[in-house]
Amino acid sequence: MVNLMENKENLQNENIEVAQSEVVEVKEPENIIEVNNVSMEFFLPNEKVDNLKEFVIRLIKGKMEKKKHKVLDNISFSVKKGESIGLIGHNGAGKSTLLKILTGIMKPTEGSVMVRGTVAPLLNLGAGFDNEASARENVYLNGAILGYSKREIEHKYKEIVDFAELHDYMNMPLKNFSSGMVARLGFAIAIDVNPDILLVDEILSVGDENFRKKCAAKINELRDRGVTFVIVSHNMSQIKNLCQKAVWIEDSHMRAYGDSKEVCDEYIKYCNSLKH
Amino acid sequence: MSIKEKIPVNKETLKERAIKKWRDTKKNANITRELVKKNIKIQYRNSVIGIFWTVLNPFLNMLVMYFVFGTILNYSETDKTYALYLLCGNIIFNMMRGATSQSLTSLVHNRGLLTKNKISYYVFPLSNNLSALVNFLFSCIALLGVMLFVWIRGESVFSWNILLAFLMLPALFLFNYGMSMILATLYVFFRDIQHFYTVFLTLWTYLTPIFYKIDKIDNGKLSGKFIAGVINLNPMYHYVEYFRDVIYRCSSTGQAVPGNLMRLYLIGAAFFVIGVIVYNFTKRKYIFYI
Repeated sequence: MVNLMENKENLQNENIEVAQSEVVEVKEPENIIEVNNVSMEFFLPNEKVDNLKEFVIRLIKGKMEKKKHKVLDNISFSVKKGESIGLIGHNGAGKSTLLKILTGIMKPTEGSVMVRGTVAPLLNLGAGFDNEASARENVYLNGAILGYSKREIEHKYKEIVDFAELHDYMNMPLKNFSSGMVARLGFAIAIDVNPDILLVDEILSVGDENFRKKCAAKINELRDRGVTFVIVSHNMSQIKNLCQKAVWIEDSHMRAYGDSKEVCDEYIKYCNSLKH
Repeated sequence: MSIKEKIPVNKETLKERAIKKWRDTKKNANITRELVKKNIKIQYRNSVIGIFWTVLNPFLNMLVMYFVFGTILNYSETDKTYALYLLCGNIIFNMMRGATSQSLTSLVHNRGLLTKNKISYYVFPLSNNLSALVNFLFSCIALLGVMLFVWIRGESVFSWNILLAFLMLPALFLFNYGMSMILATLYVFFRDIQHFYTVFLTLWTYLTPIFYKIDKIDNGKLSGKFIAGVINLNPMYHYVEYFRDVIYRCSSTGQAVPGNLMRLYLIGAAFFVIGVIVYNFTKRKYIFYI
């Protein structure tokens, strides 16, 4: 019963916010991602007590109440199989938090999230890199984090090194790598995945011009293969190119949701109006 | 889009959930394996003798303690196999020390991984504990060396009973893992725990009969009785003593001295369960604090 109500609400929201809804599908492909009324609350970082001394002092003073900050407020959208969606909005609007919720790193305070199939989060290139370990060891570790078995990584190893063009450096500790090289290695491992859903957080522009072109080609290849992208980006043309839909999050609220071109244009208009 | 269409796809089926769970478990096992490999490789990478240091380190430590305490406490004269006594205590305690002090900071140190990927929080203490276990097995090579030395000099009898020592390892592992989870959780919320734990480890070292012998402690006086009582409450005392019963005492008589294995498993299981409860109770909050 509650479910029904929620969905009715959803529907109303969508009707208001989606001008010409393309959501109505004839052959109804199933939803691969569903986000229903998701809200997320944090404690403000400066209110956080992270040591025993402070904790005891506050306990004695009786100052233990904490202020909560709403990062996401009632976000709902869905993505169908084969579609991609872009998340846009200003810095700190809550886009990355939403990606973390989709990954399952965080659980929403309210609402529910349903994600079908394998998810590869590319929230940060080389997040699991250890500077002391060699590049080769890092490939294996990072591969395991992305969900490959040992055999799969061994199989892909050559491909990854080829893509990153780092043949001569694989036995070198990562601390001796330049930041561009680290990013290239991270991207090469990350992009060599075969997930149903790829969550991407502003990482599509690493390395030099040549490498960037290679990345773009790889991403188009994945898109043509039917991988669903969820992209956080400030590059509107990229969103328009890759995604059918877009969600504009402004100040933790969902400002607009619908066709990516329309939402992006609206967002650009809004940004321009702020400048003047 | 009608409401009817939306409801049926709203929930994952049980099968989908089971597949996800299985995939996650496999993934976490892979990550653990790679982390352990990395830990072991990095540990001694910058030293000339590399991995041999793992064997040499407990041996050299033992020599220092033998020199200091064997002379001061006069054990080296009264006990011909005091070296074995020392080494037994040392490597068991060091396994615990290594596992727990590494795990203490593990969640926070790996925040880059944990905030960007979906990895089980159990993986990090587990990989540290497994690394400590591997280090312990390397130390056992040093132990075998000393045992051989003592045996050649005719001060001990060889017996296959020493293999009983392996029976206690799972119990100690459970204890360490439980401790590790509790400490890692505490560190997430209270960063100054690290300083406390360093001091606590020193105290713990002295309350465990590593270089001294327990029979001298209870001298009949109240203070002696008290300290003996405290030591008896120390779980590490029981682990160290069991290991010694099998390796050290058994070597002088050639007969197995069955320690209380049941007790070791009870302690280990208790700490493990507490650790899991603490972890499950708080793990949803970690992400906001690490």
